[in-house]
Amino acid sequence: MDYQTPTGIKHVLSDISFSLLEGEFASIVGPSGVGKTTLLRLLTGLMKPTSGVIRINGQEVNSPPPGLAVVLQDYTRSLMPWLTVEKNISLPLKRLGLSKAETAETIELVLTEVGLSGNQKNYPWQLSGGMQQRVAIARAIAVRPQLLIMDEPFASVDAQTRFDLEDLVLKVRDDFKITTAMVTHDIDEAVYLSDKVVVLYGSPANVKEIVKVDLPYPRNQVASRGREEFAELRTKIYAQVRGLQ
Amino acid sequence: MIKEISKNAIHSLWLPVALVASWWIFSTNSQDPYFPPLRVIWEQFVYLWVFDNVPVHVVPSLINLFSGFFFGVFIGIAGGVVIGTNQGVARFVEPAIDFIRSIPAVATVPIFIMIFGLSYEMRIAAIAFAAIFPTMLAVIQGMHSNNPTLLDTAKVFRLTPFQTLVRVRIPAAGPIIFSGIQVSLQVAFVVTIASELLGSGFGIGAFTLIATDAFLITDAWTGVILMGTLGFLVNVIFNLVERRALRWYLVSKKLS
Repeated sequence: MDYQTPTGIKHVLSDISFSLLEGEFASIVGPSGVGKTTLLRLLTGLMKPTSGVIRINGQEVNSPPPGLAVVLQDYTRSLMPWLTVEKNISLPLKRLGLSKAETAETIELVLTEVGLSGNQKNYPWQLSGGMQQRVAIARAIAVRPQLLIMDEPFASVDAQTRFDLEDLVLKVRDDFKITTAMVTHDIDEAVYLSDKVVVLYGSPANVKEIVKVDLPYPRNQVASRGREEFAELRTKIYAQVRGLQ
Repeated sequence: MIKEISKNAIHSLWLPVALVASWWIFSTNSQDPYFPPLRVIWEQFVYLWVFDNVPVHVVPSLINLFSGFFFGVFIGIAGGVVIGTNQGVARFVEPAIDFIRSIPAVATVPIFIMIFGLSYEMRIAAIAFAAIFPTMLAVIQGMHSNNPTLLDTAKVFRLTPFQTLVRVRIPAAGPIIFSGIQVSLQVAFVVTIASELLGSGFGIGAFTLIATDAFLITDAWTGVILMGTLGFLVNVIFNLVERRALRWYLVSKKLS
């Protein structure tokens, strides 16, 4: 992936190749500025690669494909403040041709899943930051995506809420079996949530390593993070991100 | 809550009340034919405008105002959306728009008289024309100010271009668009009155001008007061509509 910059062409992403199996949860980590967000924009089809191809289920991605949902860091900008929670969730559902009753059912289902049942008529700005991000997650799973992409989804909430949201993501993944790719700068979080961690490094960036995470399920904030493998994995990935290995 | 409202009312009303009261007191013994006592103006106001002359003069003015205003705002929004969402078109037409909007709205009235003659069509066309530009410029600016994250979200969720426009881009630009529409309303009101000063027998502007020419100074004063009152009321109604439509914006701003 190249960018045209005032000082010439900047080669941002070079040899990026990894695959994501159905139902898998992958995190993409790397030092800041390595091109994580660029990669994510390519994956979502918001940007076209200057060379190479992105495939989802064998289909080349050139524009946002069907069956894709996103959760972005900035929930205050990705939720529509002029729409109630239920209207926010139903907006992307309009294309799926559901009946009114089915739409209402879906909204109730996903809001219950994220623990916000009964908030249909509230506006996003009446909710706390963590709750708004739950709405964004509910909106994403409501379309029953084949692939869920999250861009630093918990970077704007406080630490306690962050743990709650991480566990929510694990639960949603378990209940809905959604294939997920998440960009994060938090290595602990990447290890805690993922089946594999894709480490980007270098300029132009390439895949340094794909680290398999074998922590057993169900995972839990205290036990999983306390395991020896957890510490080993996070140390290993940390060293790679820092370029020490 | 009620206490707060009455406090606000006192804050915003004391100055107008004081001004009217001092006008009333200082003009009581006025002998100046151009400045009759406010009491006399008030009596004449009640005699003329409650409600004998309303159908003859007020109704035509309001019909002109609102037809021209809505027509102009409609064109302004449509044009603003087309220009604001197409970089190519914007570069092409923006200089022309900047030129046209720099012409004082009232100065275009003679041109409309040439085209349409001294008719209702002329008045409504002149009002609409003047109302187009503030709204159109606000819509263009509003489209340009749409947040990229919001547009990305709309793209990823595969909203149709029409849904993106109606559900995302226009509401997001709502606060800017409404301030443009408010300017359109004010300009439309000015042109409404101005267009009646030429070759019309009906309308508040025409009434006031004819009264002035006939040295019916008190009648002219009632016309001026009526215009001010109507302008004020129209603006109050506008603010109520805006408060309702932009509730999400006003409340969320207060919360953060």
